[in-house]
Amino acid sequence: MLRFIFADLRHFRLGALVVVVLIALSVALGTAVTLQERALRLGSARASEKFDLVVGAPGSETQLVLSTVFLQTAALPLMPGDVLTSLTEDPRVAWAAPVGFGDSHAGYPIVGTTTALVNGTSQGFLTGRVFAAEGEAVAGAAVNLAEGETITPTHGQLGQGGHSHGGISYRIVGKLQPTGTPWDRAILVPIQAVWHVHDLEAGHAHEEEGHADSDGAEHDHDHRHAAAKEAAHEDHGSAGKAHEDHDADHEDVLFDPDAPLAEDWHGRDLPGLPAILVKPVSFADAYKLRQSYRERPDTVAVFPGEVLTGLYAMLGDARQVLAAVVTGTQALIAAALLLVAVIHVGQRRRQIGALRAFGAPRGAIFSIVWGELFALFAIGIAVGLALGYLAAVLMSRAFAMRQGFALPVEFAPEDLVGLAILLVAAALIPLLPALLAWRQPLVSSLRG
Amino acid sequence: MLSLRLSGIGIRYPGLAGPVLHIDSLDIAAGARVALTGPSGSGKSTLVNVITGLMRPDTGQVLWDGTDIASLAEGARDRWRGRNVGLVMQDFHLFPGLSALENVLLPARLARAADRGLIARAGMLLEQVGLRRPDQSVETMSRGEMQRVAVARALLRGPGVIVADEPTASLDPANGAAIGALLLDLSARYGTTLIVVSHDPRLTALLPRRIALADGGIVSDTVEEQA
Repeated sequence: MLRFIFADLRHFRLGALVVVVLIALSVALGTAVTLQERALRLGSARASEKFDLVVGAPGSETQLVLSTVFLQTAALPLMPGDVLTSLTEDPRVAWAAPVGFGDSHAGYPIVGTTTALVNGTSQGFLTGRVFAAEGEAVAGAAVNLAEGETITPTHGQLGQGGHSHGGISYRIVGKLQPTGTPWDRAILVPIQAVWHVHDLEAGHAHEEEGHADSDGAEHDHDHRHAAAKEAAHEDHGSAGKAHEDHDADHEDVLFDPDAPLAEDWHGRDLPGLPAILVKPVSFADAYKLRQSYRERPDTVAVFPGEVLTGLYAMLGDARQVLAAVVTGTQALIAAALLLVAVIHVGQRRRQIGALRAFGAPRGAIFSIVWGELFALFAIGIAVGLALGYLAAVLMSRAFAMRQGFALPVEFAPEDLVGLAILLVAAALIPLLPALLAWRQPLVSSLRG
Repeated sequence: MLSLRLSGIGIRYPGLAGPVLHIDSLDIAAGARVALTGPSGSGKSTLVNVITGLMRPDTGQVLWDGTDIASLAEGARDRWRGRNVGLVMQDFHLFPGLSALENVLLPARLARAADRGLIARAGMLLEQVGLRRPDQSVETMSRGEMQRVAVARALLRGPGVIVADEPTASLDPANGAAIGALLLDLSARYGTTLIVVSHDPRLTALLPRRIALADGGIVSDTVEEQA
């Protein structure tokens, strides 16, 4: 019987191919949507894993998470610099690190931070070490720079009205292990360097504080101007550097590539900060910290995981809409194929009648019609699963190249339910044409 | 070898004034060779359908060796036909993509009746109908060769009767004559009853008993004495 089914399918190979392709495409569509949505969820969850608590100025919590976890370029409002001091001195905090954005190099974001963050979030170095002086930088795994190379930061993004910081350069002293997060595409520099590059001396622009909230959303550097000047001046004063004779408006006035890092914030007047990443000592501390920094009028504290959960809920809704569209498509294709199968059985009445006249039992006819269609459907489903998986992998790869973080494409146990539903449908739909072939009156089918 | 007894057969179609077939009584002895003739519309095909169990008469009995197949359910009639009737039709009803041997075996295989002995028999029958290449695909065969495959298929399960419905009508005279000769020869060799429906005088002339139908009834029934 199998031999006959194969011969028959070969005879109608073009039609069979069309059936398989139709089913494969509709199944691939559903598979890709499911896998890609899951990949986006898994990938972003992994990206935010190391980010327990983020403290920022009041504003969009989603934007705060997107900017810190995914390094999405956006101007964040600033909170007072002393928040960092009080966080680092809080016994509930294991470490807290400022995160400063704004500069870039060759499309890679330059993130100002501290050694605490580099050590706390990375999985070690591929080569080199963490930065130890103001002019040193650490490159993420996906940054196309090697240890020893020198870069000049660009303010903003080139091509988006950015300008380069003349005379400033960082030397790459280390390259991090890949983490599969957007931070793989980041160039990490000392936050102190960012402040100095942008001439952020506390007191330099106190007069700007008044319009900081409205204007600052676009130029957060100006905010930092407002708060940072004094501390920076003092730093340099104590370091014995004589910068006083420089023009205070010149960008590299305070930047000294050889200056040692000063990461003890105690007693210093720090510039305003867009975000602080906090590693709480314990789970309970995380909630207490979030509580207390939510209560302050000038800060907000969020669990990135929680914010992402809210985003996933939205993503889930979108997925449901897509799933409904996919289900509708699959139902239409199933209906069309059912119609084709019924017509096909009708066209082969004589052949089916002849088989029976020569002694083939009706049960065998039923099995052949059902078996042929089920085989085509099953092949279509298998090919569709493979195509959908391939499409999801390719989409993830393209996404990873652009965004720097991996979207893991993987099947989950609940996919088996979907597969089972597809297979049940593939088994049920051919029952109708098979039944028609079984019921078909013998004599009228022979004469025709 | 099967004998046939028809009694009180009647078939009517709604909307038609007269019966399509009405045969009060007909006996065909086991091993007989019978030609059914008559103009088209005379009821020949309906009679073939009735005696092969493809169709159930409205009234009457179709007794093959005492078994009334008109009283059997459809599945049982299919099984009975598969075991006892070898059918040869005007159209060969061979399945493309399969070889000659596979075509001969197909109905038996679908009925799960094809054992090793039957497969050997299929090869032998193909040889007896004059085909040398059992593995040849049927699409590549001539019409005469295709009908030979059909004859081999009809004989596969050692039927008690061969019913041939216009077996030569779609063949050229030479092939028609060859098929006619094969049917007579093989039915004699295997001792099967042979019933041939035909309007081909060269074929009916070979058969000793000739039954003529018209308007659904038997109008003549002659037996030629043979030496």
